[in-house]
Formats: sequence, structure tokens, C-alpha cells
Amino acid sequence: MASSAVRALCASLVVVASWGMRPASADEHPGAVIYREHCLRCHGENGVGTPAASAPLVGDRSIGQLSRYVADTMPEDDPTAVTGEAAARVAEWIHERFYSAVARDRHRPPRVDLARLTVGQHKQAIADLVAGFLPPPPGPTPERGLRGEYFQGRDFNPARRVLERLDPAVGFDFGVEGPDPERFEPGRFAIRWQGSIVPEESGAHELIVRTEHAVRLLVNHSDWDGPPLIDAWVKSGNDTEYRGTIHLLAGRPHPLRLEFSKASQGVDNPVHEKPRRASIELLWRQPHGVVERVPGRNLVPQHSPATFVVTTPFPPDDRSIGYERGSTVSKEWLAAVEAAAVESAAAIRARAGRLAGVKSDAPDRGERLRGFADTFAERAFRRPLDPALRALVGHPFDELSDLDAALERSLLLALSSPRFLFREPPGPTDAGIAPWDTAARLSFGVWDSIPDEPLRAAAARGELATPDQVEASVRRMLGDRRARAKLRGFLLAWLRVDRPVEIAKDPTRHPGFDAAVIHDLRTSLRLFIDDILLPADGPADYRRLFTAGEVPLNGRLAPFYGVDLPARSDFVPVRLDDGHRAGILTHPYLMSVLAYPGESSPIHRGVFLTRGILGNVLKPPAEAVAPLAPDLHPGLSTRQRVTLQTSPAACQGCHAVINPLGFALEDFDAIGRFRGEIGSDSVGSYVPREGPEVHFEGANGLAAYLVTSADAEEAFLQSLFHALVRQPIRAWGPQTLPRLRQSFAAKGFDIREAVVDIMKVAAFPPVPPPLETTDDHAP
Amino acid sequence: MITRRELLRKLGVGAAVTPFLGNLPSFANAAPPRQRLVIVFSPDGTVRENFWPTAAGSFTGPEGDAETAVELRPILAPLAPFKDRLLTLKGVGNKIRGDGDGHMRGIGCLLTGVELFPGNIQGGSDTPAGWSSGPSIDQEIAGFLQARPETATRFGSLEFGVLVPDRADTWTRMVYAGPNKPVAPVDDPYQMFARLYGNVKHRESLRSVLDEVHEDLARVSASLPVEDRRILAEHADLVRGFERELAAEREVSRHAVPVLEPGILEANDRMPTISRMQIDLLVAALAADFARVVTLQYTNSVGQPHMNWLGVDEGQHDLSHEPNSNVDAQEKLTRINTWYAGEVAHLAALLAATPEPGGDGSMLDHTTILWTNELGEGNSHTREDIPWVMIGGGLGFRTGRALEFPSVPHNRLLLSLAHAFGHTGLERFGNPDFCGDGALVLG
Repeated sequence: MASSAVRALCASLVVVASWGMRPASADEHPGAVIYREHCLRCHGENGVGTPAASAPLVGDRSIGQLSRYVADTMPEDDPTAVTGEAAARVAEWIHERFYSAVARDRHRPPRVDLARLTVGQHKQAIADLVAGFLPPPPGPTPERGLRGEYFQGRDFNPARRVLERLDPAVGFDFGVEGPDPERFEPGRFAIRWQGSIVPEESGAHELIVRTEHAVRLLVNHSDWDGPPLIDAWVKSGNDTEYRGTIHLLAGRPHPLRLEFSKASQGVDNPVHEKPRRASIELLWRQPHGVVERVPGRNLVPQHSPATFVVTTPFPPDDRSIGYERGSTVSKEWLAAVEAAAVESAAAIRARAGRLAGVKSDAPDRGERLRGFADTFAERAFRRPLDPALRALVGHPFDELSDLDAALERSLLLALSSPRFLFREPPGPTDAGIAPWDTAARLSFGVWDSIPDEPLRAAAARGELATPDQVEASVRRMLGDRRARAKLRGFLLAWLRVDRPVEIAKDPTRHPGFDAAVIHDLRTSLRLFIDDILLPADGPADYRRLFTAGEVPLNGRLAPFYGVDLPARSDFVPVRLDDGHRAGILTHPYLMSVLAYPGESSPIHRGVFLTRGILGNVLKPPAEAVAPLAPDLHPGLSTRQRVTLQTSPAACQGCHAVINPLGFALEDFDAIGRFRGEIGSDSVGSYVPREGPEVHFEGANGLAAYLVTSADAEEAFLQSLFHALVRQPIRAWGPQTLPRLRQSFAAKGFDIREAVVDIMKVAAFPPVPPPLETTDDHAP
Repeated sequence: MITRRELLRKLGVGAAVTPFLGNLPSFANAAPPRQRLVIVFSPDGTVRENFWPTAAGSFTGPEGDAETAVELRPILAPLAPFKDRLLTLKGVGNKIRGDGDGHMRGIGCLLTGVELFPGNIQGGSDTPAGWSSGPSIDQEIAGFLQARPETATRFGSLEFGVLVPDRADTWTRMVYAGPNKPVAPVDDPYQMFARLYGNVKHRESLRSVLDEVHEDLARVSASLPVEDRRILAEHADLVRGFERELAAEREVSRHAVPVLEPGILEANDRMPTISRMQIDLLVAALAADFARVVTLQYTNSVGQPHMNWLGVDEGQHDLSHEPNSNVDAQEKLTRINTWYAGEVAHLAALLAATPEPGGDGSMLDHTTILWTNELGEGNSHTREDIPWVMIGGGLGFRTGRALEFPSVPHNRLLLSLAHAFGHTGLERFGNPDFCGDGALVLG
């Protein structure tokens, strides 16, 4: 095993890479030595300047140019002192260290940069802009399933409704005799299911209905919309399966209505109706999912207004530093923004009567539509319109006589404006605007969307001026579905599985571990996370992420993990393996993701723990290495093989940290099954950024350490901050994270409380320091 | 009659392009001449007595001898200006049997020539049925044209409607993309306009908007710290680039965009207005070569318009069930069918008045209008002697004639349409049993 000296070195490497500049050492750049000897006295540390040469040593010469310049002119009192190779070395070092634009950018203090809306924020903002003119959706309720109404006869005549009940899901085989021979003619009955569908992910969902009879499915459909998603009211030939694809937004209720009729349609004459079997099933395929019956947990019996979902595809956001942020603009992005603006403006124009509440023949239609356009822009811009802006968005109404065309153009203007597309910058704004900016920071932070009516009202009353006032708003906002969706998305991103991961397992070693099983495991992880975020009672305790012993399993998953459940059983929390489970650390989905097709992978697991959970920076390996094949070393355990392969000194720099963390999970195989007992292979250790090395045994031992680990808490809070605010936490100063951690501990590690704390900080971003001079009068 | 000026206004052709009309660059002549087919449907059968020419023969008389010319009966009178380009076919019937009532099979098999699937739609008689079990001939031809670069167009086919009820069932669908794949006609002119020109209009709006966005960008930028202006400056550059793209796009696609009267609601009484709006759009779409196969469906099988603008208050379908002895009903149905003929004549007149883009003659010389119906007669629901009327030179048929056939299946006529487009590899269409001696010879 690695000696403690190697271990200490690599720990310091990790810490250094993460938290500051590497101090000069014996193997420092030769240019640094030359600089210290010949340049420092005038140019100062890092070229900041001295009274002798006050201008900072920055510029835009290339290394070659700078090298010639130094060789010819420097030092001023003896230009022959640094020439040739020495000039080249010092130029290289200066350039890389602080002279070039890239170097300056690297060293500039973290600040809150102006950013555009992320793709997700853009979609949600447009959805909420439209929704703001409709009745509010129902709040979260515990009820699940759809409201089923059963009718005698072939249609939905209220006078012949004989049964109304809550159906947890739609999957019925009524046979030939119908749902209830006492109350229905077997040949003639109709059923209507209504409620809302709440998807897990945003994106294109395929809805599928299987039945032998007339059926119609309307999803996210308004009365004034076009045809239903599925219209098979005409039963024709042998088709019994119907499909339709629709874009839905994660975590939001979208209205759903499913109509079924077992009877002939057209002329009302049952003469040709024969006794036939009747069955119906409602299924879906979520983005990246498999075809499955729509689960009851994604259905609620309450109706909700339709959500406007932009379908224009967007290029993905930058996530190079671990969280999605709108730090860059591109041609493709702008084209998508404008296409989405056109799509939205046309759709809103078509619905203007409903949204603006004005009839097509109203005498004051022009005034009313103009008022609607005003309000729309005000909400899109997240602030009251000053006279200039009012004139801008009203301009199309002065110019065009066709009111609908004017409205459409005004909407296009609002949705193309930087005031909509870019987030509110920090910095001094006039006191009238400040509370509106705060409101927008809160809504984008907690919901990734624009402020709602209560937030706007609070801003208008100037009630967002203090942290306490912010706290009251954030607490209210946390009850909204959008907050749940955002926190759920954050936890998946924190676990590095916010996008479904390709998993393939060895079919001989893990037979039956197919796409449906993997999909169910992902669902299990989601349910686990939901239970942490919204437990039946008590706080959303961060520590339970590592310690909860129960795993949600259904009938399909149970046999893989040695549990006896009925084959069709829905998900139930199961206490597995006599308490050897440690929350997300041993969740079978993560264990399967962090493994090879047939074998566990301590390295993948170790990297996940080092980077993701403990927040350390790791450099990519010097060269790509294929894992040693197990059959070449049949006598070695996985732990021994990994140790053997990563033993070279070049590897140990990182693997001395990675391996002992990954080994702690060695009791769980490639699909996350417990191997039976805690063995010596799962002994692990970690050197925290502060304090002595810790040792642990197995997943439970690791979990016991993590719930007390300052490193893990910091990494978690920092990730949460970035997910909410999408700006670097360090811009708020070095004390922000320690303070958040103190408060986190004081409030019992409640994740929702952490959101409140973070938003209280983030609502008031630091005013960025004034711009450094980058004048190029220096070389 | 339509004046040239009126035509230009209807087609929305601006003064800028007027000089080019009918005088397009000669390289276009290198392409093979365009052929187009417009199928017009009106419902509920005709009044045989007032529709069919009294005998087979020539509408202009042999060698132009007006004395011996076959006369046009009252319903076809509006087509008199096009006598020499007219072709009527008597004795061609829809022989398809199987599930579905007469009206359902009337419209559902009219262009498909094949049985309906069994299904759950119960008609007034017979067994219930579903959708057609095969594609319709317009879609077959459009598919053939789209598969060849020299005849492929933006849409391939366009399906227009006038007052088609807002329900999808066997009685409201004539066009099928394939088995169980009915194609809904678009009966809202604004929706059709959006489909044809929406993109052009939207992009024009965008252009005007982006200019103002640009000005506002400058104001936003001025209020920001210098570091943050960079991303906004990049954004401004992108906006400028996008504007330039839109401007360039506009230069190359100066399609004539028709001007529609705004605010016409879909309602029985507006049927004449909507009909003319759809015809304007249809002709403009053909002129722009958006498609070469087009259908125009008035109402539906069992259609029930109340043509009160003709002084007819009863619904058409109700009237069509009256016996032939009901003189009043026969007279009203004659008025109704004459009105449809007038709309067909208007369509022909617009095409005749428009020079063929990039070719010789008028658009009517390169277009065949086929007007038809799901029934031969309403009260008997017969599908013998379906009223088939063709106008124009698109398919190269010999026109100016009233033809009579000895009760042949209409599948053979559907084959003739395809063969006229050069789709001669199509030996059978619909139910092969009814394709007997192949395409009808009409050339």
C-alpha cells in the first residue's frame, strides 16, 4: 500500500489544486527564477508594479514577441543580462502567469457576471408568462390517480353517470361483460378519466393508449387548441394501439382527459353491436424511458390549466464548471431564441382572446390588447415599464392597423429583448428597481422562472429589502411545485446522474438486468430523493442522504436484491441487507452506474466520492488506461487488481485518495447487490482538508464519517448554491461558505433551510469591484 | 370576369415583380412543363336531369359547328366559358362494397377505390366501418412527384376545405395518406395562410423587431459595468448577423403573398366568402409551385350547408333525400349545384387569367380541375354515374367532350389520373378487381 508520505503529498496536491495557487518549489519554472533575479525589483510580485515601474505588466504580445522584447530591452539598466534562452523562458513564464489576457482572466477575482437565462429558465419563464394570465394550477396534494366517471350508454351524458371514483392508474380489462353487469349494458358504456399528469422530466413524452374501442386522449390541451393528442374515436381495422408525442415540463401538472366508449359511434343504432371484450391501458414513454403504464404517482385527480411549452430545440448550456449557467451567447442560441419567440408569439396571438380576456368584437379591443402587451412585457422584463419602454412595446400598435399582428409583434419584441433574455446584473440600480431585481433573483433561484404575483406585489410594496423579508418569501416559494422540481433536479445533478446514464450489464452474470430494470432503478433513486426532500414528517435532513437504510423497490426489482414482493407490486420502501445500506452511497442505481458490466469499479466510485461528495479537484489521468482484465489475474480480488494497476508513482498522486474511498463500497457488486458480509476489501480511509486522516469500514463506516465531514458539507452547500444561483459562490466572499455551513449545522442539516439561507445571501449580490486597468502602455 | 389588376391584387403580387409575370427568365423553360391536378369535392349527389349533357359528343360541335354541339345543362352553365377545355364522364361509378353506408363508402372510397376497414362508425344503414384501407389517388400521385427532384415541391400536396365540420369520421375525410391515415382538410383560410406563408410573415415581423431590440440593447448596455458589456456586445453582433440573414432570405424568396380580408369567422353564411378566400390561396400556392396536387373539399359527405344566399333555407342533405317528384327540392338542389359549378368556374377563370410561371400559356393550360361528388344522386344514394367534370389542360386529356361509358368502375379513372402524370408503373389502384382493362383512355 501507499506509504503515508505519498499519501500526505497527494492530499496536499488535491487540496492545493482546489483551494489556491501552488507554492513555489524545487521544480519551479526556470522563468520564475529569472524573473525573481532580474525583473521583480521593478515589476513587483506577479507584475503588479512598483514605484519604479508602476504600470502592471500586462499586454497582448505573443510569447515570441515578448521574448524578443525582453531580449532586446530588459532589464533596462542591462539589456544584455537576459537574452536568448533565458529571455524565452522568462517570457513564457510571465505570459502564462499574469501577462496574457488568459492569465489575467484566470486570476481575476470571482464576480457575479452578467448571464443570460439558461435554457431551462427560458422555457419555464415563457410557460409562466402565459400561465400568469390563466387561473393558477392546483397546489401539491397527496391524492394520486385520475377521477374516473362511468356512464351508461355510448357517450358522456351526465344524467346517465352511474359511478365516479378515483382510479390510481388506467389499466383495465372489463372482459366481455363490462365493468359491472348490474349497472352497465355490457355492449354500451363509456368512461371518462380526468385530472393532470405530472412528469418527472422535461421533454418529449410519448403517450400510448391500448384499447379495442373508441378512444380519445387530450394532454395539456385547452378548449381552444387543435385536435386531441390521440383521436381514435373512429375504430378502424385491427389497430388497438395509438401513440402521440407531446412536450411536457418536469414537475408541473398538465391537464389530461381520456375518453373511452365501448359502442358504435356515428348513427346511434346498436343493431350491429356484438358482445366483445373491452380493455384499456394508458402508457407512456418518458424522455430516455421505456414504455410503461403511466404510474399513479405521476397522476393527480385535480384539473389544471394547460401549460404553454416551447418546443423549439435549444443548444445545451455551458456546464463546464459543474452547473448550468448562461455565460455565453452563440449564433445557434440566438436562432433558437428567435424561433422560440416566433413560436410563442404566434401561439399567444391565437389565444389572445382568452389570455387577455377580450372578445373579438369588443369595441375597446385595441386598448385591451395593448394593455395585455404592456403587462406581458412588464412580467417578461421583471420590472415596471418606464415611459420609454412602454413606448417601445406599444410601438407596433401605433404602426399596424391589424391589432393581432401588432400584438404578435409586441410579444416578439418582448421575447427578443435583452431585458427578458439576460438576468438582472448586480450593482447600483435606483431604489425603485432594486426590490424588483431581488424578486427576480429569488424566483430564478428557487424556481428557475420569473416572479409570480405575490412576489411582484412584495416588490411593489418594497418588502424585499431585508434578509428577513426575503426569508418570508422564500419559505412561501418552497411550497411550490417548481421548487420541488428544482431541488430534485439539483440532487440528481449533485449525484452526477441528472441525465440518464448509459448502463449495460453482462447478460450472463446479471441476466434480466435490462432497460426496464435500469429505468425502474432510476425511478427508485428519484423516490428515495423525494423521501429525503419531503419526508412524511420532520426536516429534509441532509444526513439521511448517507444513512437512510431503506431502498424503494417494486415487483420487478425485488428479486435482484433478494426481496420477496408480488410481481406487480408498486414501489415500497424496503429495508435491505440487515441495515448494511447507506443511503445514496449504496443505492443500486448509483452502484450500477459506477461499475463495469460485470465487476464493481472502486475507481469510478472513488472518483465520485472524491469529486462529487467531498468536493476535491482531480486532474484527469496522465494517460487513458484500460482496466486490468479480471481473468488475467484470477487470484486477485478487485481491490488487489486496482491497487496493482495504480501502484506507479504517476498514478498515486490521485489514486492514493481515490482508491481508499472507492474501496469502502467494495461490498456492493456491479448491480449494487450486497455481497454478503463486510470484508477486509472494504476498509477505507480519507485525509480531510483539515484534520487528521480518518479510517472507516464498509459503506456504513463511510456514511458515519460523511455525516460529520466538513468537506462533504462544504461541497454539498457549494453545489446547492451554484444550482440555485448559477453564479460562483466565491463572488460573495470567502466567508460565505463557512457561514452557510455553521447555519446548516445549527438548523439540523435541513436542506430546505439551507435554501432559505442561501437565498438570503444571494438576494443581495456584492457590487463588483471596479474594472482593473488593462491599458496596454506596458509591454 | 377578372381584370388583370384584380388578379394581381388577389395574388398579392407587388408592383416590383409585375414586369416579370409571364415573362420569366428563359432557363425555366429547360424544366419539363408543370402538370397539376386540383380535385374539387361537393356533397350529396347531383340533379341528374339538370346536370348530365343530353348525349355524348362535342361541346363545341365537330369542327366547331355550334349547331350540332352538345348543350350544357343548367348546372354546368357557369362553365360555358371553358367549353373547349371541358370533359364530362358519364357511366363511371364507385363499385366498392363492404362495410359502411353509401355516404361513407361514397367519400371514403371515392379517391381510394378500396374498401373501408371494419370499425365502429355506424351509418344510417349497412354495417359500421372505420377508415379507408388504402391511400387516395391524389396522395399516390403526390408521392410519385415528390420522389423525383424535377417535380418535387415544398408541400407535395395541399388539402383545402370549406366548412368541413370539426369532427373526424368517415363522412368528413376524403384524402388518405395510407390505410387508416385520413388527412384532415384545412378549412380555415387563416390557418392555411399561416401554413403557406407563416414563416415569411414571422420572419418579416422579426426583422422589424430586431431593429428596435438593437436600439434597446444600447440603452441596457450603457447602464452596465464595463465587464458585463462584453456579452451584450456579442449578443448585439449576433442580432445584427441574424438581421442580415433575414434580409438576404427576403431577397431570394419574394413569393407573392395573397392578402386575406381579416376577421372572417367560420359560419354557414360566410361560405361564399371562405370559398373565394380558399380559391385565392389555392391559386397563389399553385403559382408559387408549393404543390402540384391539391384537393378542395366543400363540407363533407352528408354535407348540410344552408345556402340562404341563394334563397335556399333548407339544408342540402335534407333536400337531397326528397324524391325526384318534389319539384321545389329539385329546383333548389339545382341552384345549389349550380353554385358549386360557379365556384369551380371561378377557380378555372383565375387559372386561365394567370400566365404559367416560367412556361407557355396560362396556368389552366397546365392544370386539370376534377370536380366530383360522393354520390350520383342523393335520394337513391347511387354511386353509379358519379358526376365527374374536368376542366383544363394539365393532364393532356382531349377536352371539349361529353363522354359516356358502359358503367365502368371508377378505379380505372383513378388510374388514368396517375398515368397522365407519367406514373404508368401503377397498374392497379385500390381494389384490383375493379381495375379490369386498366386506365380509361381519355387522351
